[in-house]
Amino acid sequence: MSAAKVDEFAAALAGDEHPGGPDQRLSPLVAPPTFAIVVAARAWESMFDDQELGLALERIVHGDQRFTVARPLRVGDEVTATLTIDRILQRGGADMITSSVAIATTAGEPVGTATATFVHTPAPVTDQPVTDQPVTDQPATAGPASAAPGESTQGVDQ
Amino acid sequence: MTTEPSANRVGADRVEKGSELPSRTHRFTRADLVRYAGASGDFNPIHWSDRVASAMGLPGVIVHGMFTMGVAVGMVSDWAGGPDRVISCRTRFTKPIVVPDDAEGVEISITGRVTAVDGPHVTVAVDVRCDDDKVLGATVVEVRRG
Repeated sequence: MSAAKVDEFAAALAGDEHPGGPDQRLSPLVAPPTFAIVVAARAWESMFDDQELGLALERIVHGDQRFTVARPLRVGDEVTATLTIDRILQRGGADMITSSVAIATTAGEPVGTATATFVHTPAPVTDQPVTDQPVTDQPATAGPASAAPGESTQGVDQ
Repeated sequence: MTTEPSANRVGADRVEKGSELPSRTHRFTRADLVRYAGASGDFNPIHWSDRVASAMGLPGVIVHGMFTMGVAVGMVSDWAGGPDRVISCRTRFTKPIVVPDDAEGVEISITGRVTAVDGPHVTVAVDVRCDDDKVLGATVVEVRRG
């Protein structure tokens, strides 16, 4: 978690009219809560790219998003992302894929969880497709996959 | 963004169920989308290319859903005292926000109402609209006071 990346993200969220200007950014040490998407998206990208799952990126829509925060992401954190496929429901020919990404520091301290539902459908996309090329300046690293028996899990190896 | 004074405006330190947060508007231009794309790493071309957006059946270039969510959560975290006050947040991406390629862009309005207070924990339901249409659904942000 670099100060430059957090600052860039906070400034982008604030838009043109944010107070201050480039030299007086918002909160330089604590990342905005939704910054976790930058970390989680790296993990989801690997799920979308997984040949065995056979997902077509252009047919994936981001349906909903949740974040739970154990403690805020901060500048200087080094974190891991562990992806779990929680549930897959089939509805009207579409797959509703619920997947969570647990974020923790490399020392093992839980930071939070990002959970998304992706709708994978053969129909033309009419909503907001999910990120296709997430990039972080501090790449998420692999953590052990964990899930209850019977769940599909996938470790993220980046 | 612009924060409007509200008759029922209350500080985060004195809230009860039904309290309204100060409402806010936020304007998205194409330049804002480009900046968010770079900051977030989400370079999906539907957020910057009219050609790709229309090929995907969209009426035009649309805002990243996560961008809208980030702005909505930011409204609540600013009210609560900062980004470190947020315990959880969730939303559904219900309707795309189309951003025209002009200087004005498009404006959304964000309102929030306290739905529960449990000790230091405050739950806020957030309503985000563009031209009176709800663009996010079931948006809830939980914050911690103090």
